[in-house]
Amino acid sequence: MARKRSPARLVIALSVAAVLAVFLLYTSLAGSTVPAVKPSQLKTNSGKVELTGVVVAPVTGDSYAGGLRFRLRDRSGTAKVAVVYTGEKPPLFRAGREVYLHGRLDHGVFVGEPGSLVTKCPSKYSPAK
Amino acid sequence: MPELGRAALVVCLGLFVYATFVGGHAAYHRRRRLAVSAQNALVAAFGAAAVAGVVLLAALVRHDFSFQYVAQHTSRKLPTLYTISAFWGGQQGSLLLWLLILSAYGALSVLLDRHAGRELLAWVVPVLGLVGTFFALMLVAVASPFSTQAAPADGSGLNPSLQNPYMLAHPPMLYLGYVGLTVPFAFAMGALLSGRTDERWIVATRRWTLLAWGFLGVGQLLGAHWAYVEVGWGGYYAWDPVENAALMPWLAATAFLHSVMVQEKKGMLKVWNMLLVVMAFGLSLYGTFLTRSNVVNSIHSFTESSLGPWFLGFICAIVGGSLALIYGRRGLLRSKTKLESLVSREATFLYNNLLLVALTLTILWGVTFPMLSQAVRGESVSVGRPYFDFFLRAFGLPLLLLLGIGPLIAWRRASLRSLGKTFLWPCAAAVAAGAALLAAGAGSSKPGLIAYTFSAFVLGSIVLEFARGTAARRAISGGTWPGAFTDLVARNRRRYGGYVVHAAVVLFAIGVAGSSAYQTVKDVKLRPGQSATASNYTLTYLGLRTAQAANHTETRAVVQVRRGGHYLTTLEPGKNWYPAEQQLSSEMAIRTDYLRAEDLDVITEDFLPKGVVAFRILKKPLVNLIWLAGLVFVGGALIALWPDAREERRLAVRYGTAGAPARSTA
Repeated sequence: MARKRSPARLVIALSVAAVLAVFLLYTSLAGSTVPAVKPSQLKTNSGKVELTGVVVAPVTGDSYAGGLRFRLRDRSGTAKVAVVYTGEKPPLFRAGREVYLHGRLDHGVFVGEPGSLVTKCPSKYSPAK
Repeated sequence: MPELGRAALVVCLGLFVYATFVGGHAAYHRRRRLAVSAQNALVAAFGAAAVAGVVLLAALVRHDFSFQYVAQHTSRKLPTLYTISAFWGGQQGSLLLWLLILSAYGALSVLLDRHAGRELLAWVVPVLGLVGTFFALMLVAVASPFSTQAAPADGSGLNPSLQNPYMLAHPPMLYLGYVGLTVPFAFAMGALLSGRTDERWIVATRRWTLLAWGFLGVGQLLGAHWAYVEVGWGGYYAWDPVENAALMPWLAATAFLHSVMVQEKKGMLKVWNMLLVVMAFGLSLYGTFLTRSNVVNSIHSFTESSLGPWFLGFICAIVGGSLALIYGRRGLLRSKTKLESLVSREATFLYNNLLLVALTLTILWGVTFPMLSQAVRGESVSVGRPYFDFFLRAFGLPLLLLLGIGPLIAWRRASLRSLGKTFLWPCAAAVAAGAALLAAGAGSSKPGLIAYTFSAFVLGSIVLEFARGTAARRAISGGTWPGAFTDLVARNRRRYGGYVVHAAVVLFAIGVAGSSAYQTVKDVKLRPGQSATASNYTLTYLGLRTAQAANHTETRAVVQVRRGGHYLTTLEPGKNWYPAEQQLSSEMAIRTDYLRAEDLDVITEDFLPKGVVAFRILKKPLVNLIWLAGLVFVGGALIALWPDAREERRLAVRYGTAGAPARSTA
């Protein structure tokens, strides 16, 4: 009669692989993720976040001296937050564009991390406004 | 005219539905003439899709703004080539392009692969029909490019970011790749449904898979080059979800292309191959879902369309159904042979599969995690670059090493003695390269140094393979070395074309390592007449100039570049303003030094008050190897794709005399 091969080795190997995978993913994600929020959700997040919103005019200041100042509002909503940002400004940046940047809320003003401002390309799949 | 387009789409949908249901019925009941009519329906569907395509193209070229799509994506002043590229510049048009390419692939595959066997082909048709039905339904019912309106005087124009020669090539290449993966998927499911799970379906789809994989690879490289020269941030890949959407199916298809060789040679890894082809196709659909649903934060912003839920439902149905079919037919997928040694070519193919799938799944996790986090915890997160870079190194470096090991290691079992003999010269090349690079200061980046060392090992292996093969050919048939080399490649196109592609991957790895690990970046603000030093370059800002083009105004900062006191060139980075679209675009200036193998990139970040310009200056060593790798990749893929009459005859004999496998419903 043929001997039945024990699945124990396979189970152990798969378990070890699964534990390693979970460990790898957890440690990688834990260090590399930030909450992605919109202006209406900022008050509940005190640490570093990725803030997404639509730029509201007026846009004042200089991103290389003193900081670029503008407000961001929820894409669908009216909640707004004041933003100050230093660093390179993407060429597509202007009022009405959707942007996201990393930073923290500091005394009611969102302070963006230098170089983190990204303007989304105006939608490829919807008409230019 | 729009009525003709709408009618063509409805006819196309009807033909795909016929191919699906009638084709399925014919395959199940083995009704040959009905099966042929279903194949004809598939061919006719291409005709209908082509009519719809021509209608849209004509409307674009004629600036018929009564078509909403034409008005939304073009304007009278838009150059003709970009007007044509607007075909795929919007949601509905790009879906129509997808349908057109899908129907073309479907028609060609059933016409050209009749030798695959009647029973297999009979089941392939309904699978292709099912996919075609979905896309045709989307165009008819959800996102039609033939909606009309009262024609305005002019259109809204094309997004200036898309007004670039790359727009003519990058999207069509990607679509040819994404859609092309439908063919191996359809043949794989056809093999399961018909019970013909020998390697006939793999042989039939080998070139289609290679073609789709090649187009997807070239499409991604074109996108990377576009980002590098146009977008103006000095980089070429940002791990953006939309970029990852093309990378994931390409990685899965790479694993599949390698893994099928083991099934052909040894009859092993049958389940792997089925899973890999489902993964590749599923990920190509998932990529389309990502780019059209706006569920993830991406620099490629897309509108929140109603297509997202449809795509998600279709992906779930396709993947779920395929997995159920694989499970149900697992009895047909049992290997006749077993892995004899962990040190063998079969084993290296298995490690290759594991690493490629692991890399694909970790990228997929990084892309999907924000959505899952939102759905499960109500909190969205953003996954940053460090996550992706970590896993690229963790899995990519061992994969690079396998490129050199796989081709040289023996099938079945390799002894330590033979390994030592085989890898002596490649290892010597790697050690010598590593030592030289350390002496040259490349030790500042450990991953970069490891990548270079492994690259030297792989290049050594490839050269050794070509040298040995040419010597053997010359010993057999005499003649000159070039003649023996040409004969060698001509007789083994798949194998040596594959080695050329491996060389392309190595060049790519060296280019990526050099341009990322060893690049320098400097930000400066200059008034006219002021200079700045970046690396060993001196840049002097001379002033601004403006010029008027057909549909935009150019503002350029004139910058003189010197090195060691010697004048090199004058660069003019700047910005373009597009009044019709009310948008600005950044135009980077690049100086390529072929001798030193580095690029000097100058970007105008901003025009500030009092004549000051903010510049970003980057020096990127070896970046042009990435683009050279693209050319070598195309060459290798063409060699592997080139028809080989000898091989065709061998396969015809093999499958002409092989008996049909018994059908099993286990």
